[in-house]
Amino acid sequence: MLLEWIEASNFRNLSGKIFWGPGFNIIHGSNGQGKTNWLEAIHTLARAKSFRTQHLQESIKFGEQLAVVRGRVAHGADIHRDLQIALQGNTKSISLNGKREPLTGYLSQIHIVALTADELDIVRGMPDARRRFLDRGVASLQPAYVQTLMDYNRVIKQKNHILRNSAEREISLFETENLVAPWNQQLIGLAAQVHRGRCDYVERLNQVLERRVFGREEVTLNYVSSLEGKGDLDDYQGLIAERLRLRLPAELAAGHSLIGPHRDDLAILFDGHEMRIYGSAGQQRSALLLLDLAAISLYNSWHNDYPLFLIDDVDAELDEKRIGKLLEYLEGRTQTFITTAKSSHVGRFFSQANVFEIEEGVVVGTAEPKVISAVEKP
Amino acid sequence: MLEYAEPVTKLIDEFKRLPSIGQKSAQRLAFHIMRMPEAEVERLVLAMREVKQRIILCSVCNNHTELDPCRFCSSPTRDHGVICVVEEPHSLVAVEKTRSFKGVYHVLHGSLSPIRHIGPSDLHLANLLPRLKPENNEGVQVTEIILATNPTTEGEATANYIGRLLKPLGLRVTRIAMGMPVGSDLEYVDEVTMDKSLANRHEI
Repeated sequence: MLLEWIEASNFRNLSGKIFWGPGFNIIHGSNGQGKTNWLEAIHTLARAKSFRTQHLQESIKFGEQLAVVRGRVAHGADIHRDLQIALQGNTKSISLNGKREPLTGYLSQIHIVALTADELDIVRGMPDARRRFLDRGVASLQPAYVQTLMDYNRVIKQKNHILRNSAEREISLFETENLVAPWNQQLIGLAAQVHRGRCDYVERLNQVLERRVFGREEVTLNYVSSLEGKGDLDDYQGLIAERLRLRLPAELAAGHSLIGPHRDDLAILFDGHEMRIYGSAGQQRSALLLLDLAAISLYNSWHNDYPLFLIDDVDAELDEKRIGKLLEYLEGRTQTFITTAKSSHVGRFFSQANVFEIEEGVVVGTAEPKVISAVEKP
Repeated sequence: MLEYAEPVTKLIDEFKRLPSIGQKSAQRLAFHIMRMPEAEVERLVLAMREVKQRIILCSVCNNHTELDPCRFCSSPTRDHGVICVVEEPHSLVAVEKTRSFKGVYHVLHGSLSPIRHIGPSDLHLANLLPRLKPENNEGVQVTEIILATNPTTEGEATANYIGRLLKPLGLRVTRIAMGMPVGSDLEYVDEVTMDKSLANRHEI
């Protein structure tokens, strides 16, 4: 897929339209000029979600009511689709080719992989960041997984309510068991699907992981089920059913669910050591890149297409050696969007790229003459 | 300060209490009512009053009815040995439209949802178990319970709960299938339904 152009109005400080090139697109400018805002606009157009904020209304320019991001995406040579997301107050409305579109259909239009500062949580943060990474990956290969996950989370939420309520009102274990049983029964099936989806995905990631692109250490991934060591994981349904039965008193005491894949983790290892604990900042960044590249490669082998790759503030995240290797790897693969404040990088690494100079949210110069933007100051 | 005269505001507020009616719809309805001839308004008021006064819940199956027991529970041509359990009266109508179900119903008026503080005791379940005894059921032994609650996590939990309740009694408890809508194209089916249909495929 290819993002042909994007147009923003009242989205943070952005205005105007940018026609992107098929390979590397460098968004260059001083700090605070709105480089990352353009990445955020692409991210928001693709995922109907920002990577910076939970509350999309924060992206509306101060004093304005309505922010709009529009874009055109090409699938192959002949299929062009117009996407639009409009933000007004707390509501967002999305449309595809000028017609309102349900979220699930809309989200499948552009798939992106983003390397931002927040994503570093995957390699050094809490397990939930790693579970989200895996879930996003599984969903990119099997869309029905999104519903499975939603159902699973819903069941956990309902069950937690029972456990909390029982704990507060001192409802007996026997009665709680009765109330929890119908939810546990669903939990078993859904948990097994989540477990299988994530395990498969990790296995596939391991197969395509370019273990040594960025360093001498060998990176491996290992899905760590919270039920590991508790019995036979091959019979996951049987095992989790058993654990749910045994651990109900503990769950009741805790007031929330203790058993299930919402407690699982992904171990990222280098030469057998855990990256999160023992990895240096540089090694962690390399590992994150490897994960992203593996996700891109898997997406490609599944869909015969490449997702868009967004890299925010490339100099902050990567040293020159890694940037060089990364660009070499991406050459001819993804359409890549990179922000940087260093002009030395622009000349050195990005001779093949389209360069967009940003000032106060608008493009004031481009490195390739064919790339012209409609510049209108607000 | 009120934007409209007091009676209008009051009417708008009342409309807004109704499900899926927001401020704008409520205003539109209120203004429409003001334009309506008085006789029509009377008819509407009467219809609402009548529905409250004349419709009761069937003491056997909890369906909305004017006569107790309802037309299904009192019908000699229905099979009283098969009970279809549904969440809402309108789900009953959906099953009934098939014209192929000849059994009787049991309406729960809801589904289990701890988040919304709906537990088993909030469902109309109490009069289901007594129905399973022949002496309470026109002398007929119930042989099968069909659980036709919605295919949501809440509907599923409700079906599970009732299943657990009934299994020890040794009767046949079934759950309706999930899958493809009939008469539509494969291409129009969402991926989740398609996924379920593949998982629940059967040999021909």
